[in-house]
Amino acid sequence: MEFSEFVGHEEAKLSLILNAVDLRCGGVLFFGEKGSGKSTLVRLFKNLLPEEIPFIELPLNVTEDTLLGGIDIEATLKQGRRIIQKGILGRAHRGVVYIEDINLLSPEIISLIFEVKRRGENIIEREGFSLKEPSEFILIATMNPEEGALSPHILDNFGMCVLWEGLKEPSMKIEVLKRHLSGVSNLRNEEAISLDNNLKRQINSSRKRLKDMIIPSDTKEYIVQKCNENNIEGHRGEIFLLYGAIAYGAFCGDEVVSREHVDKVLPLVLTHRKRISKELEEKEEEWKENKRDRKEEGSKIDKESKKEMGESESFNGGDNFSKESNLKAFKPAEEIFNIGDTFKIKRLIFRKDRLPRNISGRRTRTRTKGKSGRYIKSLIHPENKDIAIDATIRASAPFQNLRGRKEMILIEDEDLRFKQREMRMGHLVIFCVDGSGSMGVQRRMVETKGAIQSLLMDCYQKRDRVSMIVFRKDRAEVLLPPTSSVELASRRLREIPAGGKTPLSAGLLESYKLIKNVSIKSPETRFLLILITDGRANHTMTQMSVIEELEKVLELLVKLPSTDIIVIDTEKKNNFLSTDFAQKIAFKLGADYYTIENIKSEILIEILQKKIPF
Amino acid sequence: MIFPFSAIVGQEEMKLGLILNVIDPSIGGVLIMGEKGTAKSTAVRALVELLPEIDVIKGCRFNCNPEGPLCSDCQEILKNNGNLEIEKKKMRVVELPLGVTEDRVVGTLDIEHAIKKGEKRFEPGILAQANRNFLYVDEVNLLEDHIVDLLLDSAAMGINTVEREGVSFVHPSRFILVGTMNPEEGELRPQLLDRFGLCVQVTSIQDKALRKEILRRRADFDSNPLEFLKAWEGEQKVISQKITAAKENLYKIEIKEDVLEKIVHLTSQLNLDGHRADIVIMKTSRALSALRGKTSIDLKDIKDAVQLSIRHRLKRLPFEESGKEGEKIQALLSEI
Repeated sequence: MEFSEFVGHEEAKLSLILNAVDLRCGGVLFFGEKGSGKSTLVRLFKNLLPEEIPFIELPLNVTEDTLLGGIDIEATLKQGRRIIQKGILGRAHRGVVYIEDINLLSPEIISLIFEVKRRGENIIEREGFSLKEPSEFILIATMNPEEGALSPHILDNFGMCVLWEGLKEPSMKIEVLKRHLSGVSNLRNEEAISLDNNLKRQINSSRKRLKDMIIPSDTKEYIVQKCNENNIEGHRGEIFLLYGAIAYGAFCGDEVVSREHVDKVLPLVLTHRKRISKELEEKEEEWKENKRDRKEEGSKIDKESKKEMGESESFNGGDNFSKESNLKAFKPAEEIFNIGDTFKIKRLIFRKDRLPRNISGRRTRTRTKGKSGRYIKSLIHPENKDIAIDATIRASAPFQNLRGRKEMILIEDEDLRFKQREMRMGHLVIFCVDGSGSMGVQRRMVETKGAIQSLLMDCYQKRDRVSMIVFRKDRAEVLLPPTSSVELASRRLREIPAGGKTPLSAGLLESYKLIKNVSIKSPETRFLLILITDGRANHTMTQMSVIEELEKVLELLVKLPSTDIIVIDTEKKNNFLSTDFAQKIAFKLGADYYTIENIKSEILIEILQKKIPF
Repeated sequence: MIFPFSAIVGQEEMKLGLILNVIDPSIGGVLIMGEKGTAKSTAVRALVELLPEIDVIKGCRFNCNPEGPLCSDCQEILKNNGNLEIEKKKMRVVELPLGVTEDRVVGTLDIEHAIKKGEKRFEPGILAQANRNFLYVDEVNLLEDHIVDLLLDSAAMGINTVEREGVSFVHPSRFILVGTMNPEEGELRPQLLDRFGLCVQVTSIQDKALRKEILRRRADFDSNPLEFLKAWEGEQKVISQKITAAKENLYKIEIKEDVLEKIVHLTSQLNLDGHRADIVIMKTSRALSALRGKTSIDLKDIKDAVQLSIRHRLKRLPFEESGKEGEKIQALLSEI
């Protein structure tokens, strides 16, 4: 199959073509669902690049020495002196590095790549040599947002970004199938090959004309204005927009870069930089809430009293309050609320502790027991007796002639290198949820469930295990014992009712017992207790007062080892009735404190909102 | 001694799923879901007997296909000698154990060679052995996360790119992924689910007579395997011949426009991610039609193909429930 045969996705194709015309367009990130052809297109694009531009694929299995460069064992042995082997980033100078599923790459490797990228050169100081080489490259990468997000800081490094939406149009899908049929039987389509050749010629001639392109000041102003309008932070947006527009102008065969050229590349350059301003966000929120209230109240009224139906269409903010209180009268004591809107969770960070473990997952870094985990790099001083043979051989290589090697390499103590391994682990996340009547007021439970669902998505991405405890009426109950099935948790969440009193201390005690039990069975477990409540405790298990009992239980919790605690306050904050009880509890626990509003990821980039498929 | 495929009682869906993959390896494997003790592993291991021979480049460590793509070694030879010799090799089932390490999967620096000879050489891993063979992962849902990532990485394009410990190497790795899992023990990531062409469900057989038959055959096999194999030789041949004939006819089967339309209509209604479902249904219908000795695809082929290839794709979110979708498929299937 050829590039020109690829069905649909014109925006993505354009972004690649513009990068082929001018690498200063800054690369592109394809952001979209699995199995929709993202990587197929990139590989077809490889053939369009002029031969002098390196295109280097960076696989997930890459190790640090191959990424940055190191001693070339073979050449060093032959010549008896250190010969350096270029790493991927050095080889990619003035070219393209392609990373598939960039969000699955180890965080250590990601930070190395971006460090080199920022500097534009690769500096290595290790294994007894130092090397400095130019390394300017652009990144082309794909990711599936279901598998985890990238920080905005990394997103910003991409010149362009394309939201890759699967083709829905049946006729196009049929086209894709047909292309696939011909691809399987290895028939090369003459027509497509000649189209590709034409495209290559067009790209080449555009490259040559880049330096002659005229950029009127009006166009520059227009670029600045557009970036302002879209609340783009920093100057990267403007720069990439300019290069993109120039490349597009050249590609169109024009001599002057116009506003139209800018408009064409605008979505490519700004999608992943657009930060929704706080103001706009709030407005949107308000609007959504209104709409939802109206819809749901409408349906409720429909069920409960048809007479009121006429009014529900015409009500506005003013009689909101009276409507609420009217409706409350109809409400049963117990109600099961839907799951509200979900969102991207703020990154929750936990300290690395000293306990070596053997648990897999993606949340927090941990020391590893024995020889498991990813081999990240080699060290001179051992963490354990895990010899990194490749690094050891490299270290010994320069001295082989000196030591009089015949066949077998001679290795001495000083050559020994050891593996540093990295592993991330999941936590056991315990959701301790307030299911009391106060949660039902003003539909707080809907939003709360939305927040929990969002946290569950985060748990899935970090491969945590989850458990769920609910406290309401006169007791606490383990709804879901620890499981790795986030799906099960989501199902339980849906079923949680709200109603009755608030036995907060019972809920906390149940959590305490659960943590104790699990840590006896598997002492390596790291726990995250998420307490979700408005803190208005009003029921006790004992003769003690509410406050007294609560304090006793809080003391127990504070003493738990390997346990992090987060309190999410569900109380509505913008009125004078707020008590901030939950905040006080968080303080006593030494826990991180959030409200439903501020646990949302601060930098709400539009794509993340749109594409995370809840 | 391997228990013969044809002697496995019942579990027709699983057997069909495996056979279809032998007929057309590009269907992309099969995920076998079910409780323990339902002949999942037995069936996969028994499949070996039925596998055909394929053309490979002589002496290649990666079973390179003479029609390409080629590994770094074969490309080198082609450049120097101008041509490549071909030999026949039987397809294999390569197993991926759960505790496997990253370098065993993708391959790494050949340490022994480096120490003894002072030369850099690539030591192939499991992904190399698996090229053009079946890659079998028992209890695939228990596989460690970063190993899953590696599988996905090379499954995507059928190429394993290695950049480790100073060795750079590229070789084709097109494998037919066969996994078994017991859903009670944890889920599989949607991205990996999507990589399995087909998904079949096995349940333990309740029928008393059949259960007795299973016991009897097992006992016969254990007490005198040679005799048992002999007794089943005829049955084994029948299946082998069916597969060979189907393989020969596969590309002769015409795929008409209305077949594509029906497939796409169906998947559009179900709102599935990507194109993989479309492609798999198309190929599976074709393989089914070839197995049934026909020259074109009919409605039954499509319906059966949908049953096999859609079950594991309905869950679009990591934790979405799929109960209702099952009814929807039935409704859609009766529509066309």
